[in-house]
Amino acid sequence: MKKGCIALLVTLVVIVGSFSTAIAKFPTKPIKLIVYTKPGGAIDVFARKFTTIAAKYTDATFVVVNKSGAGGIVAIKYILSEKADGYQFAAVTRSNVGKIVSSGNEINVEDLDWMAMMVSDPEAIITNRTSPINTWEQIVADAKEKGGDQIWVGPAAGGNDHIMAMKTWNAAGIKAKWIPYASGGKAMAALLGGHGVVYVGNPQDVIGRPDLKVAVISNSERLGGDFADVPTFKEVGIEGLDNEILWRGFMAKKGMPEEAKAFYHDLFDKVNNDAEWQEYVQRGGAVPLFDKEDKFLATVKNDQIEFAEALKKIGAIK
Amino acid sequence: MDLIESFSIGFSVILGWKPLLIIVTGVVFGILAGAMPGLSPSTAVALLVPFSYTMSPALALILLTSIYIASNYGGSITAVLINTPGTPSAAVTAMDGYPLTQQGKAGKGLGTALVASTIGGAVGVLILILFAVPLARVALKFSPADYFALALFGLATVASMSRGNVLKSMVAILFGLLIKTIGIDPISGVSRFTFGNDMLYDGFTLIPALIGLFAVSVVFSKFETWTGVGRVMDKIDNKLPSLEEFLKIKFTILRSSIIGTVIGIFPGAGATIAAFISYDMSKRASKEPEKFGHGSLEGVAAAESANSSSVGGALVPLLALGIPGSATDAVLLGAFMLHDLVPGPMLFQNNPEIVYGIFSALIVANIVMLFLGLYGNRLFIRVVSVPESVMYPLILAIAIIGSFAVNGSMFDVAACIGFGVVGWFFKRYGYPVAPVVLGIVLGKMVEENFRRAVMMDGYGVFYRDKLAFIVLLIAFFSFVWPLYKAWRYHRQAAAAPGENEAKI
Repeated sequence: MKKGCIALLVTLVVIVGSFSTAIAKFPTKPIKLIVYTKPGGAIDVFARKFTTIAAKYTDATFVVVNKSGAGGIVAIKYILSEKADGYQFAAVTRSNVGKIVSSGNEINVEDLDWMAMMVSDPEAIITNRTSPINTWEQIVADAKEKGGDQIWVGPAAGGNDHIMAMKTWNAAGIKAKWIPYASGGKAMAALLGGHGVVYVGNPQDVIGRPDLKVAVISNSERLGGDFADVPTFKEVGIEGLDNEILWRGFMAKKGMPEEAKAFYHDLFDKVNNDAEWQEYVQRGGAVPLFDKEDKFLATVKNDQIEFAEALKKIGAIK
Repeated sequence: MDLIESFSIGFSVILGWKPLLIIVTGVVFGILAGAMPGLSPSTAVALLVPFSYTMSPALALILLTSIYIASNYGGSITAVLINTPGTPSAAVTAMDGYPLTQQGKAGKGLGTALVASTIGGAVGVLILILFAVPLARVALKFSPADYFALALFGLATVASMSRGNVLKSMVAILFGLLIKTIGIDPISGVSRFTFGNDMLYDGFTLIPALIGLFAVSVVFSKFETWTGVGRVMDKIDNKLPSLEEFLKIKFTILRSSIIGTVIGIFPGAGATIAAFISYDMSKRASKEPEKFGHGSLEGVAAAESANSSSVGGALVPLLALGIPGSATDAVLLGAFMLHDLVPGPMLFQNNPEIVYGIFSALIVANIVMLFLGLYGNRLFIRVVSVPESVMYPLILAIAIIGSFAVNGSMFDVAACIGFGVVGWFFKRYGYPVAPVVLGIVLGKMVEENFRRAVMMDGYGVFYRDKLAFIVLLIAFFSFVWPLYKAWRYHRQAAAAPGENEAKI
C-alpha cells in the first residue's frame, strides 16, 4: 500500500514536472528557417552557417526551407500567412526592404518582428586591378573626362548597389551610367572583361578574385585583414558615405509567445559572441552588427524612405 | 609535368571506396533526377547541397559535380521515351528521340543519347582541364553587343527547325518571346504584365512551361482522339545502334561536343542554347537533313553531346574566375562557399586537391554513367510497353508533380496545365512547340544584351563591334538561306506542276 502510494506520488511529480516544462520550454519541435533564395545563394549560406553555429548552444533542430521568388516577397508573405508561434523565422537582408517598396508597399513592416540584425556588409566601390583606372582618384578623373559616359556595372536597377552608385555620384559631383546585370556575378564578369570601369558590391566579392580590387569602402574606419589597405570615403575626401551597408538579419511574424522570444534573443546573443561566427563574418569583409527589435525596425523604416526616394528618381515607382 | 602531377593529386582524392561510392551515388541520383521532369540539373544539385554539408569539401564537390554531369544525360531518357524532356535542354533531344520511339526504335534513341552524352561530357571536361584559364579570359572579352548577336544567331536557328511552314514556326517563336516579357524588366527593374500577381513577378518558370508544351499537350491530344481501346506499342526494339551507325555520326558528335563546350563557357548561354545551335549546325552539315525531326540519330546525337559537353564549358568560368556561368554553377558556388572555399584562380593554388579532384571525378563519372546507362536502358525501355490507358494518366501525374517540385508552388502546376492547353492547340493546328521553348530561353538574353549594348555605346555598336557585326551577318544568312531554298524549290515546283504533285 505504502509502495503504491509512493509510486503514485512519483508519477504525479513526473507528470506535473513534464507539464510545467512543456509550458516554459521552447522549442518542442523543429523550427523552420525560411530563406528567400534557392539553395546555394549567399543568404542561404548565411542561414546555414547560423544554424551550424547555433547547434553549439541549443538542441533545437533547425530546418532551412527555401521559398524563393519575387526577390523575397514570396518568403515574407509565407511568414505572414503562418501562425506567429515562433516555429518559423526568416533570414532577411536590406534588399528585401527595397522589394517591399518596389512591389507597392503591400507588406506592412509593422506586421513583422524584426528580431535581430546580425551582419553589416559595407558597400564597396570595386575596380579591375589590371585596368589603368583602379583607384578612386583615377575613377573621378576618368568620369570627368568622359562626361557622363563612364560605365558602372552591378546588379538590378533600383537595388542596394544602384542606390549606392547614385549616392556616390552625387557626393563626388560626377556623372556615370549604371548598366544593370542579372546578378552580381555577371556584373563582375563584365568588369573583368573591361566592359565597365566600376562595380558596386561588397568586400566579400573580391575574395578569391585577385584581379578585383576594392577602391573605396563605405565604413567609418578601415576594415582589418585583407582590406587594411582600402581607404574609406572620408579618407578620399567624400563626406556623408560612412555607413552605407547591406545588412543581414532575422525576422518573424509579429506576436510570438514570450518564451519563444526569450529563446531567440538568448540564441542570437550567444551566436553573435561566438568566435567562429565572428571569424566567418569578418573573413567576408563584413562587420558584426547587433541591433534588435525597435532599433532594427527604425533602420528598416529609414531604408524604406531611402528606397522610395531612389526608386522614384529612376522612375521605377510613382 | 605539371598536369600529370596535378592529376596524381586529383586521382588520389577519388581513389578509395568512399569517393567512388559517392561518384556512383551522384551519377545514379543525377540520371534519375534528370529523367524526372521538374528536376532540372540546378535543382538536382541544389537538393543535395544540404547533404553535402557534412562531407569533406572535396567529397562534397565531387558528389555535386557528378550529379551535374549525369543529370544532363538523364533528361534525354524521358525525352526519347515519352516526349517529356526531363531537363530544358532535352527539349531538342525529344524532336528526334521521340519519333524514334514511335517508330519502335527506342533502343537506338536511348543508345545514341547515352553515347553522345558520354563523349560530349568527356570532350567538355577535357577542354575544361586543358584550357580553363585562357578560355575564361576570352569569354570575358565578349561585350553585350556580342552576346546579343550570339543570342540572335540562336533565334535564327528557327528557320532550319521548321518542318515545312516557316510562318508557323515564326508565330511559335514570337509566342515564346512574348511569354518571356512577363515579369520584372531586367534593365529597369519595373514589373511588366504581372497584373499585381506576385507569382508572375519572376515570369513563368521555364520547366512547368516546358512540361506543359511537350508532355501535357500530348495527353490532351490523346484525350481528344481516344477510342476507348488502350493500344500498346506493338513493336519495341531495344537494340542499340550498330557500330556502323555510330561511325556515321562520329563527326556530328565531335562537332556538337565542341560547339556545346564553347557555348557553355559564355556566362548566361548554357545547355539549352548549346543544344539548339548544335542541332541547327548538324542539320546544315548533314547528308540527310530531311530526316531531322523524323527520328534522325544525328539529331539526337547533336543535341545530347552538346548539352552534356556544355557542363565542362560552364565550369570554366566558375573554376577559373569564380563567375557562375549557369544556374547550376550558381548553386555550386554556394556549395563552395558553405565549405569556406571561393572558386577562382586562388583555388588552383591553395586547394589543388579540390580542383583536380573534381576534374578526375568528372572523368570517372562519365565512365560510370556509360555503364549505368547501358544497364539502365534495358529497364527504362520497358516504359514504352506500358499500355496507353495507364501511360497517359501517368504522364499527367508526373507532369503535375514535376511542375510542383520546381518551386513548391501550385501556380506552377496551373501554368503547366495552361501551357498544356496552348501546346495542344499548337499541335492541333500544325504549329511546332520547340520554337516556343527557344523563344522563352533566348528572349531574356536577346533583350537584356541589346538594351545594355545600346545603353553603353548607342545603336552604332552593332556595326562598330566587328565580332558582333560578323555574327549578326551569319545569323542573318542562316535565317534567310533555308527560306530562300524553300522558295526556290516551290518556284521550280510551280513551274512544273506535274512534278509538284508527285513530290507532295
